[in-house]
Amino acid sequence: MPAANVAAQVRTSLAALKASDLQGAQIMEVMKLAHQLTDTMKLFFSSLDQSICQEFNYIADYISRTRNEIAALRPNDIKTQRIPTAGAELEAVVGDTERATETIMSAAEEVLCDDEEDFDAYRANVEARMMSIIEACSFQDLAGQRVSKVVNSLRHVEERVARFAEVMGVRDADEGQREETPQEKRDREQLLNGPALGGPETSQDDIDAMFAEMDSPPVSDLDQSTIDSLFD
Amino acid sequence: MAVDMTMSILVVDDYKTMIRIIRNLLKQIGFENVDDASDGQEAFAKMQENKYGLVISDWNMEPMTGYELLQKVRGDEGMKATPFIMVTAESKTENVVAAKRAGVNNYIVKPFNAGTLKSKMSAVLGEF
Repeated sequence: MPAANVAAQVRTSLAALKASDLQGAQIMEVMKLAHQLTDTMKLFFSSLDQSICQEFNYIADYISRTRNEIAALRPNDIKTQRIPTAGAELEAVVGDTERATETIMSAAEEVLCDDEEDFDAYRANVEARMMSIIEACSFQDLAGQRVSKVVNSLRHVEERVARFAEVMGVRDADEGQREETPQEKRDREQLLNGPALGGPETSQDDIDAMFAEMDSPPVSDLDQSTIDSLFD
Repeated sequence: MAVDMTMSILVVDDYKTMIRIIRNLLKQIGFENVDDASDGQEAFAKMQENKYGLVISDWNMEPMTGYELLQKVRGDEGMKATPFIMVTAESKTENVVAAKRAGVNNYIVKPFNAGTLKSKMSAVLGEF
């Protein structure tokens, strides 16, 4: 019997009991009612248990799968090893290039300021400085190796995050709803775009042409004959 | 009118190496009286204290950018006539247009050489 019908029957029986004297043979009616009530509850809870159980199983599976995927990401390795190492490598690159630049510039400045009167001494000094410049250029090899390590670390993180997003069906949040950070706002307002990859986005020649064009007199300053010639 | 080769030039950049490079290039061109600042704020403070014949400024600096410095300089009665050259890696067209509209006298995109610096300085100050 459907639970709703049983419930209606229970309500009817209860109403009949309230209206009668329970001291008589109607105690059997009470027992019958209790039995019906138990059946109803059993049906209800069993259906409830089944659907909740399915939901919980699904959630448990999802959590388990998520945990496995997060474990596969090796977040602790990324956090404690790869990212700090990459940061340290980049700092070392900055340090190496600074030291090399210092050496190269000092050598060049010394050559420029050197006394040329004693030619032999001047030549020896120039040769020594040139050698120090050549030696300093070895930073490029070290910097290349360090940057390669950083690129590999970034690639590792990129691959794992991409796999995680794919397996978990993650989609990017709507960019329009994301709040701009103060730094992003400043960068946008101050036009801080940074250097473009592969050389300047606008070449010096193009910039010069833009300046020449912007410096040329506006159309309102032209006389009528010049304006007319524009339409010929 | 002849360019005053003894005039004081203010170089603004947050990279000491870049300041050193520009100092050396200016020295090669013939200008030895060079002062420097590491951002727009320091540069503006120095400009309130001293008179400069030319400002050569980077764009991307903290806390005050070269663009903000340019706007402040052009908005200041005592400084607004100071020639201002932007030397920067910011090479988008919008940057060049914004700088021009803010009153920059010339714009050099990094990396550059002594020849480019000299030709832009000549365009601003006159041949030297």
